[in-house]
Amino acid sequence: MNNIKSVKQLANNGEQGDNMLILIDNQDNKLFVPKDEENRHYQAILQWVADGNTIQEAD
Amino acid sequence: MALSKIDLANMLTGLVPNDNTIRRPNAKPLIFNGSMDLSQRYGTTATTITEGYSLDRWEFVEDTDGSATVAQTATVPTGKGFAKSLDVQVTGTDSSIAASQDVRIVQKFEGQDLQVLKYGTSDAEKVTLSFHVKSSTTGTYSATLRHTNTSGTAYVNSLTFSISSANTWEQKVLVFNGNTAQDIRNTNTEGLRLEIYLAVGSNFTSGGGANANSWTTGNTNRASASNVNLMTSTDNDFFLTGIQLEVGEYTSSTLPPFQHESFGDNLARCKRYYETQTGFYFYSFQSGTNVVHDVPINCKVEKRATPTGSFSGSVVSYYPNTSGANSETNNVTAIAIGDKNGSTLLSLNTEAQAPTDAGYYPIYADARNAVANWDAEL
Repeated sequence: MNNIKSVKQLANNGEQGDNMLILIDNQDNKLFVPKDEENRHYQAILQWVADGNTIQEAD
Repeated sequence: MALSKIDLANMLTGLVPNDNTIRRPNAKPLIFNGSMDLSQRYGTTATTITEGYSLDRWEFVEDTDGSATVAQTATVPTGKGFAKSLDVQVTGTDSSIAASQDVRIVQKFEGQDLQVLKYGTSDAEKVTLSFHVKSSTTGTYSATLRHTNTSGTAYVNSLTFSISSANTWEQKVLVFNGNTAQDIRNTNTEGLRLEIYLAVGSNFTSGGGANANSWTTGNTNRASASNVNLMTSTDNDFFLTGIQLEVGEYTSSTLPPFQHESFGDNLARCKRYYETQTGFYFYSFQSGTNVVHDVPINCKVEKRATPTGSFSGSVVSYYPNTSGANSETNNVTAIAIGDKNGSTLLSLNTEAQAPTDAGYYPIYADARNAVANWDAEL
């Protein structure tokens, strides 16, 4: 997946937010991605970070 | 009742391999949505895709300076029992594909579903790929299998097929040798993928090993250097349906019949990887005002892995109120998903009209026009 625009940590509101990331792609689709290494979007985020990008802090 | 006749001629048709090939007469097809009947994401709408899924289980990659749409269409070969096909339509041209660019249609398979191929052993099975294809552009195309072993190394075997008549349905049958030296990793992650190339740059062809029917590492044998470039005209298109992936070696005359699944069976299998729901209602409780409230929903089929969630549309929440409105429209601000079982919490935005007194109150939410999606594709 090469069309990641930004990634942000989802706020932990007492449920499972700390385990989720918000991915915005180049078409401005908003995806809620679990930190599961078998999830293809999370795999893409890990590669995106390895390429020098940074996950934003939660709001 | 005594048997009066044994029809040896029909018993010994080409449907029965003459070797020790594993047979799966009652199993579901290896391929998913080979009839192209299912399109949960976009229906029949032609959609521009650069890298993503189109019809269920079918990924499309268009990495060129041009553009293309993918659509589910009713253009099908006559008399074959198919009602839908996948259509790639060029919408922006690129007559000179750069070395690192390509266009391909892909389906990925979990490794744990393909241990039947016995890769990494001397009994590794051949695989027969068959499909119906129609294209505006004649010439050579590449169909490639790429498997990943336990160590995570990928091996490719690319064969070519030729489209000899423009805009005419043709059936292709290709037999891939098994890989006796390398296994397929036995996990729920990608173990094998099928790729059909519609354009390809030299980085993927420079090895010159395409059509040797052998397995190599790296990317330089992913396709044939003779592969057509579909992207040369916006008049160009490519239709595909009736895809089979059979264990064993078959010819066009011995190929088993296409396994036409019911729509429901096809949908149930594909939902392991992607599921969309619309038109649901739910109840929840919340305390206080001007806070985010959460409502639980679930996907119907356990996913391959913990899925990605997305949501479109709004939710109308109803709650008790002694004055003023007792409902408002909320947007989903967050989605939390617990596990591959798809237990999901939707967080809705604040309720300006909600009760001002303390304590819990019930919420009834109407999301009949909203759409929730769970994506666990490979």
